[in-house]
Amino acid sequence: MANKNRLSIAILILFVSFFYFCAEKQHGNIKKNILKIGTTRGGFKSASLLGDTFLALFARISNPPLMTMAKDGKLEGLVTARHEVSEDCTKWKFYFDPDLFWSDGTKVTAEDAKFSIKLLAEVVPHARWLHEIINEVYIDEDNALVFELERPYSRLDFDLTTYNILPKHIWKTIEDPLRHTSNDEMVGCGPFVIEKIDLNAGLIRFRKNPYWKGFQPELDGIELHLYNNNDVLAFALERGKVDTYYRYASSYPYPNIERLKATDEFDFLEEPHYGLRFLGFNLNKKPMSDNHFRKAISYAIDYEEIIKLDILGYGEIPSRGFIPPIMPAYKETEELEYDLEKAKCLLAEAGYIDRNGDGFRETPDARKMKLLILISMDYVRLAELVQDYLEAAGIDAQLKTVDYNTWISMKDRNNYDLVVSRTSPWGMFMHASWATGYFDARRTGEGVLHNVDDPNFLKLCDDILSTKDEEKLIEYASHVQDYYARFLPAVALYWSRTVIPYQKRFSGWSPNPLFGLYNIQNFLNLQIRGQDTLSFN
Amino acid sequence: MNNKRKLNRFGIFLVAMFVLIAILADIISPHDPWDRFEPYEKPNRNHILGTNDIGNDIFSELIHGSRASLVVGIGAAIIATLLGLLVGLFSGYFKGTLDEMFMGITDIFLMIPRIPLIIILAAFLNSSNWLIMLALGLLWWTSTARVVRSRTLQVREMDYVASAKCLGFRNSHIIFSDILPNIFPVVVPKFMLTVATAMISEASLSFLGLGDPSMKSWGLMINFALIKGGLVNEMWWWYLPPGLCIILFVYSIVSLGFSFEERKKVNLR
Amino acid sequence: MFVSKKKVLRYFIALFIIFTLNFIIPRAMPGDPITNLLGENFIASETMIQELKIELGLNKSLPAQYLDYWKDIFTLRFGYSYHFNQKVISLIYMRMKWTLALLFPSILLGAIVGTLLGALSGWKKNNMPNKATTWVFLATYSSPPYFLGIIFLYIFSFKWGLLPFKGFYETGTLLDVIQHLFLPILIMSAFTASRNYMIMRGSVLIEKEKLYVVYAHAKGLYGNSILFRHIFKNASLPVFTLIALDFGFLLSGALFVEIVFSMNGMGTLIYEALLSRDYPVLQGCFLIITIMVIAANFIADILYSIIDPRVREKT
Repeated sequence: MANKNRLSIAILILFVSFFYFCAEKQHGNIKKNILKIGTTRGGFKSASLLGDTFLALFARISNPPLMTMAKDGKLEGLVTARHEVSEDCTKWKFYFDPDLFWSDGTKVTAEDAKFSIKLLAEVVPHARWLHEIINEVYIDEDNALVFELERPYSRLDFDLTTYNILPKHIWKTIEDPLRHTSNDEMVGCGPFVIEKIDLNAGLIRFRKNPYWKGFQPELDGIELHLYNNNDVLAFALERGKVDTYYRYASSYPYPNIERLKATDEFDFLEEPHYGLRFLGFNLNKKPMSDNHFRKAISYAIDYEEIIKLDILGYGEIPSRGFIPPIMPAYKETEELEYDLEKAKCLLAEAGYIDRNGDGFRETPDARKMKLLILISMDYVRLAELVQDYLEAAGIDAQLKTVDYNTWISMKDRNNYDLVVSRTSPWGMFMHASWATGYFDARRTGEGVLHNVDDPNFLKLCDDILSTKDEEKLIEYASHVQDYYARFLPAVALYWSRTVIPYQKRFSGWSPNPLFGLYNIQNFLNLQIRGQDTLSFN
Repeated sequence: MNNKRKLNRFGIFLVAMFVLIAILADIISPHDPWDRFEPYEKPNRNHILGTNDIGNDIFSELIHGSRASLVVGIGAAIIATLLGLLVGLFSGYFKGTLDEMFMGITDIFLMIPRIPLIIILAAFLNSSNWLIMLALGLLWWTSTARVVRSRTLQVREMDYVASAKCLGFRNSHIIFSDILPNIFPVVVPKFMLTVATAMISEASLSFLGLGDPSMKSWGLMINFALIKGGLVNEMWWWYLPPGLCIILFVYSIVSLGFSFEERKKVNLR
Repeated sequence: MFVSKKKVLRYFIALFIIFTLNFIIPRAMPGDPITNLLGENFIASETMIQELKIELGLNKSLPAQYLDYWKDIFTLRFGYSYHFNQKVISLIYMRMKWTLALLFPSILLGAIVGTLLGALSGWKKNNMPNKATTWVFLATYSSPPYFLGIIFLYIFSFKWGLLPFKGFYETGTLLDVIQHLFLPILIMSAFTASRNYMIMRGSVLIEKEKLYVVYAHAKGLYGNSILFRHIFKNASLPVFTLIALDFGFLLSGALFVEIVFSMNGMGTLIYEALLSRDYPVLQGCFLIITIMVIAANFIADILYSIIDPRVREKT
């Protein structure tokens, strides 16, 4: 008895003293202005700049790409000073900023850019398509980088917003560049360069590039803190372990916003989101191939309730034209409407009637109809609602939740009737812009539907890809949105706003459409107010 | 002795209560758990435990959630126990090559990883609780088989079995009327433990997003509570009750199993 | 000898089949590794996809890949991960280090605390403190692992601010590492301890009714010395075999702890490789786990027949 008591008391004392001893030390960054960004680890797997798409994203501020997108959706040069494109869009010319230096003092030249693009095209799987479209790349007498393309392609400047530029003098000696990982200093030419990557501590640290000649930022450094779990990240944010939240193409979880507001330590960036959630149709199968069916479905969805339940009111009902108002060349089309009676009417008119009285409609040729809604795990709640709405309209629908990889493979094999998924901001602009990348049947890619093979639509895409003429593009964009409104290859479920919280002492945020607050302009312009003692807990 | 019986009674009472709740779920729950009201409501008169992120009544969800846990738990345990009994009995009784073969098979099954199997099955069939139950049952019969086998090995050396053999009874008869009753005290606690592990596995799979959204389950409730801000907003009435239910249900089954084991083992001395 | 030829044969055949399953199961999952390499913006081109497949060795027929697989096993070539961009071996080494740093203390602590307290509980009268400890351990044993983990994180890190939120360390000092590992180890020890407790308790309850205990009493021994001198060894047999088996399962079972505490160990490695269909990593990990579990099984079998002569095979 005594033994056991003594043992338990000893353990208790050990615990208590341990706690006391190890209580979290508060180390506020009083000497330096550092922005701590909390993010989820997502797909970040290794410290390989070429091999890991997430590191490539994070490294956009240390190894900037040639182009970037400004707040208004226009493309502007980052490493390039300016660029020109021929009228038929087959010849591109990029001029370089003479005042750009790598963090080891060497000058950035067109050679670096040529080397980087060639290396990426050769080595990185998702950049290999560049091989097929680029005929020749060389540096001409103006010291500009010239691309001569296989065919007209007006979107090269857009695609170049994702390829990091590397220092040739360092990378040309690396044997296996795709697998080259480095946890220490990475030479870059951005205002901040990677100082340390520590996967075990979940940290990527940036320090100022001493050779940055541009606008001097107030920030002394940036830290990216990586969490495996979104809830724990929310805790850390509230406790001040990180200053703000970043997640590619996502808002801070809406349910947690009110809580942060109540602490009075945070301000919020609220921006319209370029991406959206949608209900997609497998146009190769009946009844989804039936225009009337799709139109009827669009009336069966309670958009208001979805906005209330899925994004807690931070959004608006979308239109049939799919494209949100924030996108350039937006055209107003008919707003989507929830009218269950009308939906039922349209379904009945189109021949979808419940003949056997089981509560569910059959096809016009009297065959049983049970639709498969294929989703990956993130969209369960949204899909539950959609399934509910379909059932209310008399359509038997079943949810199939699979992991993302399986979802892609099933979708690409047309093994589905409906999907609930999302478009990302990048995705809205890719291919021929205005979400055409998701529908063009000649394409493939992770999240795209590639369900439209209508030659009219495809010609429209090709037209957009071969011109930079502003007026023509606006006209084409209008046609694209009309097409969506008329044929509904997918129904947008809502247009949302992203909300990003940040510690009050930071201000002057300038998010860009593609990557939100994770862009160079933003970090350059960020202002920090004094040292508040209350933000260090 | 008295205390043990009390533990037993309490365990039986709890298990019976949960089973009853699962069966009478439709009658006793105040609302249909699939009906939607105002989301994120705190506990109030209409909703004892408030509502979740899409407005379902949490208390009704809780009551209906017992079904999924029961189905997966008991279903998986039945499959596992039946398979394990058969394999273990025959393996332990006949010994020799048959034994080695069966034990080799258990080694193999022991190594099949849980999650990939469920991903594979979910892709080809529909990810439902029946599937999870099947998968778990197919993976866990091995430990029951081992325990049954070692007990069979012991029992078959006993006198009355030898005498039955001498008297010329068929093997199958000996197995089922002499050995099987002696295996029971070992199998029952194993069964209970398998139920417990299966229920916890269902909760864990739901946490990873591999659960079955067509059925309300405690594991899924916790999962949604976590994803949709229940934890961060300190809505303990959302994530604690399903967690506590899992703990309580598993606890009652496990304690029943353990006390059964203790009692019968003492009697068998 | 304690090990018969038949047993060895059986182990080898089982090993062969398991290795084959290790090849089949990742590939049986729908989808393929290439989708994760291509990203969202990809224009379909058969030649490109073919090139990729050739580089990854996926263009060969399945039987050919199967032969390559065995060749790699015998030459101990683990290859390169498709998505982690490193050698599988160094990847596993890096993750295994930390997973073991989590596992060893947990298993040790769980074994010591669980068996000691369990033995005492079985030996002593079933009074209130006894029942209370049994209740606590049983409740721990009954909870889903991530549930406890996240509640503890919530209380200790969020509410009381005593412990960190993520990672294996921040500054890298020993104290820092201990601080970060404290909570995960606590949770994992709690689970192993509770299981060991229950089994030990049950064992001791049986043993204490046996004749040799009465004899020991008669000899003049009393109290705890009977427990620790005689009963302990007999009662702890099932616990030892369980501890041996633990290694295989705790490795992948620590997945939840790794997710909650943002630690990157073997659990998340296997899980992420699963989701992205990273065959080399999956094969490498399963191989290592298989070897460990089979070895543990083997040792457990031998241990069992050494300690308990009744179960030895009749030669």
